[in-house]
Parts: sequence; structure tokens; C-alpha cells
Amino acid sequence: MKSLRELQDTFQRGILAGDDAILAEVKDSAKEKRKVLFGVYRNAYVARLAEILGDDYEQLHAYLGDQAFARLVKAYIDANPSDRRSARWFGRHLPAFVRKNETYAKHREIAEIAELEKALADAFDAPDAEPLRIEALAAVAPESWPSLVFVPHPTASRLTFMTNAADIWSALKSETAPPKPLHLPEPQAVLVWRQGFMSRFRPLSPEEAMMWDEAAKGVRFGVLCEMVATFAGEDEAELRAASYLKGWVDMETLAGCQTP
Amino acid sequence: MSSDKPPYLGFGLGLRPQHYQEILDASPAIDWFEIISENYMIEGGQPLHMLDRICERYPVVMHGVSLSIASTAPLDLDYLGALKTLADRVKPKWISDHLCWTGVHGVNLHDLLPIPYTEEALDHVVARVGQVQDFLGRRLTLENVSSYITFGQSEMTEWEFVSEVAKRADCWLLFDVNNVYVSAFNHGFSTDEFLHGVPRDRVVQFHVAGHSHEESHIIDTHDHPVCDEVWDFYRDTVGHFGPVSTMIERDDNIPPLAELVDELDHARAIARAVLGEKRLEAAE
Repeated sequence: MKSLRELQDTFQRGILAGDDAILAEVKDSAKEKRKVLFGVYRNAYVARLAEILGDDYEQLHAYLGDQAFARLVKAYIDANPSDRRSARWFGRHLPAFVRKNETYAKHREIAEIAELEKALADAFDAPDAEPLRIEALAAVAPESWPSLVFVPHPTASRLTFMTNAADIWSALKSETAPPKPLHLPEPQAVLVWRQGFMSRFRPLSPEEAMMWDEAAKGVRFGVLCEMVATFAGEDEAELRAASYLKGWVDMETLAGCQTP
Repeated sequence: MSSDKPPYLGFGLGLRPQHYQEILDASPAIDWFEIISENYMIEGGQPLHMLDRICERYPVVMHGVSLSIASTAPLDLDYLGALKTLADRVKPKWISDHLCWTGVHGVNLHDLLPIPYTEEALDHVVARVGQVQDFLGRRLTLENVSSYITFGQSEMTEWEFVSEVAKRADCWLLFDVNNVYVSAFNHGFSTDEFLHGVPRDRVVQFHVAGHSHEESHIIDTHDHPVCDEVWDFYRDTVGHFGPVSTMIERDDNIPPLAELVDELDHARAIARAVLGEKRLEAAE
């Protein structure tokens, strides 16, 4: 008689690898063959994980269509047995899986749509933090401004797209026909975060993206202004930097500011 | 370890995100809610915010799906830690999971997998329940699962196994009416045998749910309204156990809240008819 450990190992291989050795350990019912009955577990495994991925990657599903999405999902499930207690995390490797998969290599927008959906899902239940308010900034003494550093909101993340994946996602989300996939002449910076309870994203200009990335590293506001001046000219550089900062505060992408 | 028997809560529903706002806006006549523990093992955002608001207004119990109490893989202490952290936040009336396993070798199959009913499995499960109860500092409540196969090596019936776990591990039981019905159909035993085979004083909660009938077997899908046969068995169950906290469990094809409240009212009406108004009120 198999030990419990051996039995569970055999059962699991029956589900994951289609190994029929488990059928020697289970019985037919009065109404049905054991292979059909064990098949309930096999089918449920794939169906449940496919449903999870369909929920997590709704617009990717819409973009690929049912058949192509089902093929992708099956390949992903076969390659990535779930290793977390919560199904919430099962699909977290999908963007990297798509990016590495030769089938999708010529269609870069597919991986980027997946990356955007994952980032939006991650923002949805990322840690809470009170956003930085304009009143708090207004209270900073003028002489302290050059040394001010900013704390990104814990829900914020930055993506860089080589295609118009963000536009495709937006069209699909609003249930309109998506634009044709395009390779962009310049990389497109995108900021993802949660405002209130809603996950959001916004494309950033190259200059704003540069300033955000440096600010997120803890670079002081005075230095950020110099970087902006270097990036696109000294003319009104401080005004441009202040305008980006105000936008971040208005959209609640920052969680605080400090003077060192 | 707290060993007081959990209180009778009346008639509750599973908390589902589709219903958060309506629950908070309309305060519907639902006595309590059950949450899926894993759905709130997250860091922030709307789910935890809504959960906190609902905990302010309703009694809440926690129901997990991946404790994997019968697995031969080591207990997942990170998971247990997260469960305890959530319990500190929710202050649930009890914490339940399933009498099953969900995977080995670091894999989670996200399913409630069956156990062979052997002395070896019994010893294993009883020891693990003890470890979990020590960790949580409270008794665990375990639910019978639906199953589709039986093992050649089983030495006892499911109800004998369930009863022995409850007695020897000193834990509570969640009697899933639908799961007993499904397994009885699939394995050809009588629902009454199961009903009369488990210790009455251990049962602290009922689940009532729908399923999918595949002619030769029934699959426990929780995506349909409760069918007449399960309501009939619920009637027998209430008659046998008396007032026990009852919940309608819907996990898929989630209907409008009003439909679930109607089903819950149906359960309440059955319990009233079987037990009488006074006995039900006295339990509250």
C-alpha cells in the first residue's frame, strides 16, 4: 500500500503530467469509470487556472481572441505550476512568459498589454499610503525647496513600451476597435498607480519620465530642476519642473516629501 | 487556547466584491458574512477597506481554501502567519478551512483534493490540526469537501474519518450540506448515514450551495442556485442538528445580492418551519 506521501505525489502527477498511475489507487463508482471521475480533477485544474488568467488579463484576452488566448493560457499553465497559496499571484509571470515565447516575439505589443494589466492589478491591492497634498507642499519654506526629496506612492510603478500597447489597451477597455499595433519611433514611458481605489496609468513625456525616475531615486528638487534644464533647455525649466510636480500631486502619485 | 464554542450567528452570506457597495449602502438583512481568507491576504486597496467597513457592521467569519491540512508537504508558516495577521484585523467568530489537501512539492493545485480514509491519514491530519490550532491560539473549523473518487486503500467511511478528526484534534466542523449530497451521489452512500454519523456537538456552521449534475456524477461548482434535493437535505440537517449558523455559498456566476438574500430567506423559512420560531430565536 502506498504511503500518504506517495499517494499524494501520484495524485498530483496525475493532474499535472497526465500520469495514469493514480488510476490503480482509485475505484470506479457504481455509475462511472475511474478515469472519467479522476478527469474531473484534471479538467478542474486547467479550467480554474484559465479562468483566473482570463480575469487577470481581460484585455489581453479580448486582443488575442478566444482561441489564441486559450493556447497561450494552456502553454502558461503547463510551464508554471502555481506556487502560491492565493490564486491572485498565479498569473504574475505571464508578461515575462509572453516576452520569452517565440510565438509572440514578433508581436511585442502582446507582452506590453500583459505588462500593463499586471501593473494595474498590482497597483489595485498595493499598500495604502496617504497621498502628498498640495497644502503640505505649500507649507514648505522657500529656502527648503532646493533640498526637497519626494516619496513615490507605494502603488506607483513605471513601464516603458516600444509599441502603442497603452492605446490598444484603452480602446479594448472602452470596447472600441483597437488601433493597429505599431512600433513607436521613441520608447513610451508610462506611469501606473492607484488613485483612491482605482488603478490608473498615464503616458509621460520623455522629460517628465526622466524627472519622475530621478525623483523616485531621491534626487533633490534643486537638482531635478537642473536636470530638466539640461534635458530640454533652461528656458522656464523650473516652471516645467514645478508643473510636473503639481501634476503628480494632483493625481496622487506621491506619498510624501522630505528635506534631508 | 480559546475553546468556547462559537456563537450561533443566524443566516449569512459569502462576502463577494460585487456586493460591497450595496451592503454598505443598504445594510441588507443578512446576519453575518463569511470571507475567503486568501482574498484579503493583500497589502492594501479597496478589498481591505471594504472589509474593515463591513466588519464594523456585521459579524464575520474567515474561510480559507489553501491551508492544505491533509498535505504531506510541511505546514506553510508564512501562510499561517498571514492568516493570523488577517484574523487580528477581522476578529472572526471562527476560522475554517477544508478537510483536504491542495498540493505537494511546493505546488498549489487550487483544488480541494480528497484524502484516503486511513489510520495513517487520520494520524497525520490530527497532528497537523493540533499544530495549526497551537499557532493560531484557537480551535479550527474543518469542512467536509465534495469528492469524485474514492481510494482503494480507505479503511473507514468519510463520516467516520471526519468524526475522528474532530474528536481527536478537538476541532469544530463546518457541515457542507451540498458537499454531503454531492459525495453521497458520487459514491453511492446515503446522506442520512453521513448526517447521523458526525458528532452533533462539533458542528458550528452549515454551507448550502448549488452544483452541476453530469448524470453519472455531480460536480461541486457553487455556480447555481440551491436545488430542491439539497433544500430537502438541508431540512433534514436542520432537524437533526438544531439551530446552526447557516450560509449560502456562491462562488461563480454571482447573481445580484437580492437573489442570494432570497435564497437565504428560503433557508431561514425552512429552519423556522422545522425548529419553530421560538427555538430559532432562543439560539440567537
